Amino acid sequence: MNELRKGIDASATEALPGTGTETGARRYRFAPGFIGFSGHFPGNPILPAIVQVRAVVSLAEEEGGKALRLAAVRSAKFLAPIRPGEDVWIRYRRRVDSGMNLCDATLSVAGKTVASFQLELAEEETPR
Amino acid sequence: MIAGITLPMAASLLIPHRTPMRLVDTLLSVNNGCAVAESVLPRSTMMADGEGRLDELAFMELIAQSYAAFKGYLDLLEGKPVGEGFLVGVRHLEITGRAYAGDRLLTSIRTVGTFGGFAVVEGAVTRGDETLAAGTLKLWLVDPDADGG
Repeated sequence: MNELRKGIDASATEALPGTGTETGARRYRFAPGFIGFSGHFPGNPILPAIVQVRAVVSLAEEEGGKALRLAAVRSAKFLAPIRPGEDVWIRYRRRVDSGMNLCDATLSVAGKTVASFQLELAEEETPR
Repeated sequence: MIAGITLPMAASLLIPHRTPMRLVDTLLSVNNGCAVAESVLPRSTMMADGEGRLDELAFMELIAQSYAAFKGYLDLLEGKPVGEGFLVGVRHLEITGRAYAGDRLLTSIRTVGTFGGFAVVEGAVTRGDETLAAGTLKLWLVDPDADGG
């Protein structure tokens, strides 16, 4: 597991079980010292988009109990910056469509959607 | 052309990202809306696991940073400070290969269009003849000349 992912996992603060429309939800709070803020950007820290996507892939892995790799970002929208210390809810839903393992996710801060994306995942041949 | 602004050029002069989030090392070439940037990520990068394998999300960041370096280069040529840009969208980014710390990665970008402060960019990350990832990104560019930014 790389250091970025360790930092992401350590930033999780609360989990909710799945519902009829969601596979699960988790709350994160990325502290000012989170490694992903380092250098992104000096004096203007913003959570990198790749951190947001990585968090979802990691959630899907954890939920499914299998190592996964990101095969494709089918679409993604990053609508507003996420700052240090903000509570970020990630809600995601896994599904299979035409044999493809998909994951839809929405990120919100204070009830406002800040990012949404659809990912295509594949089972990892070699566990991370 | 402003004296001293020549390629290849260190990406650290062209983009606001800093270690450990700066993944692009050098802007190699620029030609008619296209550019190529080089990266060799060290084993110590936060994007590598214990075996040196890079997180596949690095490819998305490489494309975004390579475009940022291209735009920063154009800003310098125009005598402007290097502006900031933010990734706002991704379309059909396919990840077909795996990279490792120490690999020489080349990221090619092509500007598809710009409008209203946004840029749509096609990008691909390659290692030798192998394409590791390719897709389309949308970025919002902050005008370095704008007040109050």
